[in-house]
Amino acid sequence: MSTAQSLEETLPLDGVQPRLPKLRLPNIEFPTKALYKLLVGLVFPFLLYLLWKTAAEQSWLPPQILPPPDFVWDSLKDLLATGELADHTLVSLKRVLWSMALGGGIGLAIGFAMGLSPTAKAYLYPSFSLFSQFPVIGWSPLMIIFFGIDEALKVSTITIAVIVPFAVATYKGIQNVPAKLLEVGRTYQFSFTQTLWHIALPAALPAIVGGVRQGGMQAWLALVFVELLASSEGLGYLLSYSRNLMQLDVVVVCMIVIGLVGLVFDLVLTRIEQHFNRWAPKGF
Amino acid sequence: MTMKKTVSLLAAALVAFVSLGGAHAEENPKVIRIAFSGAGVGGKPGSGSSYIATAHQQGVFEKEFEKDGIKIEWSFFVGAGPATNEALALKKVDFASQGDLPLIVARSTGLRTKIILKSAQFSKNYLVVPSGTPYKSIEDLKGKKVTVQKGTATQLLLNRVLEQHGMKEDDLRVIDMNSDSQKAALSTGDVDSSLQSGTDLVARGLIRRILKIDDPTVNAPSFIWVTEEFEQKYPHLVQRFVNALLKVAAWSADEKNRNEQFRLWAKSGNPFGDYKEDFQGDSLRDRLNPLLDEYFVSMLNKSIGETKKFRFTRRDVSTDGWIEPKYLNAGLKELKLEGFWDEFDANAKRKTKAK
Repeated sequence: MSTAQSLEETLPLDGVQPRLPKLRLPNIEFPTKALYKLLVGLVFPFLLYLLWKTAAEQSWLPPQILPPPDFVWDSLKDLLATGELADHTLVSLKRVLWSMALGGGIGLAIGFAMGLSPTAKAYLYPSFSLFSQFPVIGWSPLMIIFFGIDEALKVSTITIAVIVPFAVATYKGIQNVPAKLLEVGRTYQFSFTQTLWHIALPAALPAIVGGVRQGGMQAWLALVFVELLASSEGLGYLLSYSRNLMQLDVVVVCMIVIGLVGLVFDLVLTRIEQHFNRWAPKGF
Repeated sequence: MTMKKTVSLLAAALVAFVSLGGAHAEENPKVIRIAFSGAGVGGKPGSGSSYIATAHQQGVFEKEFEKDGIKIEWSFFVGAGPATNEALALKKVDFASQGDLPLIVARSTGLRTKIILKSAQFSKNYLVVPSGTPYKSIEDLKGKKVTVQKGTATQLLLNRVLEQHGMKEDDLRVIDMNSDSQKAALSTGDVDSSLQSGTDLVARGLIRRILKIDDPTVNAPSFIWVTEEFEQKYPHLVQRFVNALLKVAAWSADEKNRNEQFRLWAKSGNPFGDYKEDFQGDSLRDRLNPLLDEYFVSMLNKSIGETKKFRFTRRDVSTDGWIEPKYLNAGLKELKLEGFWDEFDANAKRKTKAK
């Protein structure tokens, strides 16, 4: 039971006729509503699938470049059966989780420092701002020199990709702690630690969780890229390897799996974010 | 008939005859595109170790097709065989020089080519490790990082060598890199091993060789092909291409041109010394041999079997209508080069003696 306003119940403007057919979502509770939303969300992918099928049948692109959907489906089943896909996905996930832990820790620390201490901000912010402009790709040659091409390379590169969203979200979250709350803290003569624990942290938490979600997305994107570079296992490696053997069907399977895992990641993190945001009234 | 009518009738007949003849003449393409599966150092457009590389350096095709107004476009792919395959799939290449694995993979995906010449054979390769490492044999490399360019003939070679020692690719951690990156990674010790045929890094003391691979039934030859489409449309151009190439091959196989040849190849960035050492004690005529002989056919079939065995492709590959020797045979006859090169049998033993 949600007390938040939702899109379905927008107040109609007087005298203005809606030009597009309004999407009337039936006012039924979970799970039917969720199912309905899911179906609507699947319309576009389905159209894309039809386009793909037609393109393959009509050979708009040579079959060596664009494999037909059936072939990709067979390869998917094949890879699942041999456990190859699961192995590579697991390796990739492990790398992401390690990097999020490391990058998250560093990002949080930087964000807190800049948010809580004007001195720290003065010292750190310009450099941090510069640092966050570089794309992850730009770091890789340097990383290869420092870390070689082993696990350390992958974890370090993804960590860099994760630090920025974490730090920015934390910093902004702390900045946006309402002044009134801090005033209350001063009235109660809170120590620094008390202010941090009882006021700043809970107030900044929604933003921080938003940063986790952003960081997760960035981590997943960076992972695939770094595995394309120099790896001997993982989804990005499987993608690159299959391309070299002209097994474009496996390439498409990898792309689908990468997309799906990223999607699941995002959904889970969104639910967590929503949980922490449940007290906030929604504008949309 | 009146004089006027006769003349006009004759004129009409003449015009018809000429236009009919004109309609039969095949329109030549504006450009012939040749691809090399491999590039020189740092992606330099140049290569070595084959007579087609010599042909590129000498500008042979440019001269041959200049009179027809056909330009020659060379592509040197750092992505090697796999990149050539992509170009082939997108119909961006007419002729190419390629190794066995990418060639077979391409055919298994339905790309149609005709093999017209052998590019080179009896090459040597070495398993190398960085200088500071303790590895002595291939078994020491279990679980270690080995780099090879995936999808190339070298990867298939690696699998053969591993199989000879009772190992599989899964026993190693194989990392995909192109040749420049491989050399860099070996020099810094970031990988534990690789297959390298060059001498340069050894001479500089950065790597050392732990295994020599010079068995000609293990080192596959490389191939020159033309797309089926091009061959069907312009067989006369294919014949001229082959003839021009055979002339270069004869020049290359001549021992008195040895150093000059290496100098040309060295323009690819690989040092002169590399080629000198690689060809030491080898007969140029045997290594730069274009014949589609028994050795060639048996090695191709062997490679096809291995490609399936090592699961590089899941589809069958048939050699029916794939090898097209007629251009080679016609060329040899025309240039009086029959018997210039020896034929070798399935075990790489000499069959016929050159005149």
